Amino acid sequence: MADQMTIRETAAPAVGVRVPSANIYAPQWRNFVFVAPFLFFFTTLLILPLFWGMWLSVHKADTFSTGRFVGLDNYVRLVHDKVFLQSVWNTFYFVLLTVPALALIGLFLALCLNRRTRTAAVLRTLFFSSSVLSVTIVTLIWRIVYIPNVGLLSTIYGWFGATAPAFISDPSLAMIGIAIATIWWCIGLPMMLFLSALQQIPQDIYEAAALDNANRWQTLRSITLPSIKRTFILVIIIQIVLQFQLFGQAWLMTRGGPNNLTKPIVLYIYDTAFRRWDLGMGAAASEMLFVLILIAAMAQYLVTRNKGDQA
Amino acid sequence: MKMNAILLAAVSAGAMMLANPSFAATELTVQRFFGACDADFGTNTDVSKAVGECGIITSLINKFNADNPDVHVTVTTVEWPGYDQLTAQFASGDAPDIVTIHESVLSDYQSKGLLLPLDDVLKSVGVTPDAFTDAARNGATKDGKIYGLPIDSWTMLYHINMDLFKQAELVNADGTPILPKSVDELLAQAEQFKQKTGKPYFVQNLANETALFTRNLYTYLFQQDSDFFADPKHVELNTPEAKKVVEMYKTIFAKDYTTKGLDYGGAINAFLAGEGGVQLNGTWVVGDYNAQSETNGTALNKGGYAVYPYPQLFDGAHAQYADGHTWAVSAKEDRTAEQTAAIGKFLKFFTDNNFDWSRTGHLPAVKSIIASDQFKALPHRDTISAVAELGRSLPPEVERQFAIQEIIGEEMAAATSGQKETDAALADAETRINELLANL
Repeated sequence: MADQMTIRETAAPAVGVRVPSANIYAPQWRNFVFVAPFLFFFTTLLILPLFWGMWLSVHKADTFSTGRFVGLDNYVRLVHDKVFLQSVWNTFYFVLLTVPALALIGLFLALCLNRRTRTAAVLRTLFFSSSVLSVTIVTLIWRIVYIPNVGLLSTIYGWFGATAPAFISDPSLAMIGIAIATIWWCIGLPMMLFLSALQQIPQDIYEAAALDNANRWQTLRSITLPSIKRTFILVIIIQIVLQFQLFGQAWLMTRGGPNNLTKPIVLYIYDTAFRRWDLGMGAAASEMLFVLILIAAMAQYLVTRNKGDQA
Repeated sequence: MKMNAILLAAVSAGAMMLANPSFAATELTVQRFFGACDADFGTNTDVSKAVGECGIITSLINKFNADNPDVHVTVTTVEWPGYDQLTAQFASGDAPDIVTIHESVLSDYQSKGLLLPLDDVLKSVGVTPDAFTDAARNGATKDGKIYGLPIDSWTMLYHINMDLFKQAELVNADGTPILPKSVDELLAQAEQFKQKTGKPYFVQNLANETALFTRNLYTYLFQQDSDFFADPKHVELNTPEAKKVVEMYKTIFAKDYTTKGLDYGGAINAFLAGEGGVQLNGTWVVGDYNAQSETNGTALNKGGYAVYPYPQLFDGAHAQYADGHTWAVSAKEDRTAEQTAAIGKFLKFFTDNNFDWSRTGHLPAVKSIIASDQFKALPHRDTISAVAELGRSLPPEVERQFAIQEIIGEEMAAATSGQKETDAALADAETRINELLANL
C-alpha cells in the first residue's frame, strides 16, 4: 500500500504541474463518517448494554420493571447460591474439556491435511462442514446418537450385546457428551486457522531442515510449532471466550441436568433472568461471567506473551 | 361522462369488497403450544376428523377462520410451554392478542397487569362464568375476575398396557387392572410385574425431566393432607410426608421398576412398543393411545389399553394434582372495538366447541359437556372422569409455579437417582423455592 502511494505521488509531477499531495492520514472530521456506522452499533449494542447490565445488577429488577437499588445484594445472593457455584464449576469443566481438545485436534487435522491433494481438500471441506450447522441441528444429530434404546450408540453397542453409556442422563457423562458434540461442531475454525498459519511458513526453511537431515519430529518441534505459536495462542483465546459462553448445546441436549451438572453460567443467567424474571440477579451473574472471561483470556494472553518474550 | 366514471369506480370497489370478504377482516394474532401438524391438518376444517391435541386445535382454528370471514386469525406455534418467548414478547410490547396459558401460570402475568380481564368480553358474547366447572372457573379466576377462558382440566394418569398386566396376573375377574392401594402394594405389584414379564412396571421419562417428578410429589402430598403451601410465599417441603414420596420413587428407581434414561418422546415410544406396564403421562395422550389400541398389530391392540387416575396410596384426601389450559388475552391500550369483538367471537367459539377439545383426553371446562352423554360415550371417560372431583391445584396465589416445578423436579431427580440424600434434596428444594419467592 505504502509502495503504491509512493508511485502515485512521484507520478504526479511528471504530468507537469506540481500539486501538493493530500495527506490522507491527516486528522479530518469527515473521516469519522466512515467509522460512524460501526461506532453506532458498537455503542448501542455493546457498550450501552454493558453499563446497563452493571446498573441492573445493583437493582431489584424483573422483566417488566426496574425496582429499587439494592447495592451488592444480588452478588451476595449469587455467591450463596449452590446452583450458581455449580454452574461456574460446570463452565470451567466444560472449557477444560473442550479448549485443549479443540486446539490439539484442530492442529492434528491441520498438520494431516496441509497438502495439495484432492483427498486433503475433500477432507478439509468435510471437517469444516459441521461448523456451518446451527446449534439446533448439531444437538438434534447428537441426541439421535445418544438417545437410549434406539440411538446410534445404543444400536452399535447392541451389536455386541452391551449397554451404551447414557451420555444424556448419566451425571458423570452428561458434560462429556456435550463436550464431544461441541468439539465435533467447532473443530472447523481451529483447523482452518492452523492451516492458514501452516501455509504461511516459508518452504525454504523446511528445505534447509531437510538439507540438515532433520527428521519429521525435529522439523515439527523446531520449525512448525514455533512458527504457528501466535496462531496457537489465538485459537486458545478464541475458544476460551467462545466455550465460556456455552448455552445452546446444554439447553437443547440436557436442559442443564441431571441435577444441574451440565448447567453453564449462561444457562443459569437465562434461567434466572428470563424464566424466573429475576433480572437483577441475572445481570449480576452476567457481570461475573464477563469478569471471568476477561480474566481467563487476559491470563492466557499474559502468560503466553511473557513466555514469548523470554524465548 | 365524468359522473359515470366515478359511479363505475365506486361500484367496482364495492364489488371487490363483496367478492373478497377478507378485505375488511379484523386481524387477530393467536399464539399457542400443543405442537405443529400443518402437514396433516393445515387445511382441515372438519374437526371430527382430527385427533390429538395438535390436530384438534389446528382444525378448530381453521374452522373458526372459515366460519368467520370477518375475522382472520394468524397462528404462531411455540414449543411447549412457550413462556420464555411470551415474557419477551410482553417485555417488548409485542404480545399476541390471544395466547395459551396454564391456569397455574396466569398469576405471573396477571399480577403484572399484562392480561385483560375477560368478564366483560365473555358477557358480551353470552358466556357466563357459571358455564364452567368449578375447577376450571376457579383456576382461571384471579382477584375475583376471569383472566383466561378455561378450555380444559388436565392431570397425570396411569396409562396401562393390559396385555402386560394380564401376563403379570394383575387383572381382576371383571377384566379391570389391579391397582395398588398403598405404597407397599405398589412396590409388591411392581416386583410381581417385573418377575412375570421381565419388564419394568413403570415407563417414565426421567432423563432431565422435572414436570413429572413435581406433579407426582404434589399428588402424593395432597393424598397425605400435607399443606405444604399454607403460605403462598413460603413452601414447606422438608417434611416426613415429602420424604415418604421421595423414598418411594427412590425404591422404584433402585429396584428397576421403571425405565431409565428416556426423555418424553422416548418414553411414549417405549410404552407404545410394549416395554413397560404403566406410563405416567397426562390426559392429553388418551385420544392418541386409544387410537393406537384400535390399530391392529400394535402393543396396545394386543391386550387392550386402560387408563385410570393415580391410585390412592395414602390415607388422606382423595386427590391428585391438576391444572388447566386457558386462552388468555393480552392487555393492549390500542385495541379497537372490532378487535375486542373478534376476540369475543373466538372465545365463544372455543366455549361452544369444548366437546371437540375434550376428545383429546382432557376434561372439558364447560359444565354442560362434562355431564353430556356425548362426552360420557367417549372411550375411557368412565374411568378418568373421576379426575373432575379429584383434581386439585396449588393455591392460585402461588407465583412462578413453573420455576418452582423446575426446582422440585431437579432436586427430586437427584434424590431418586441416588445423586443426593433425600433429606438434602428436600432441604435444598425448600431453600431454593423460598429464596425465589422471597425475591419476587
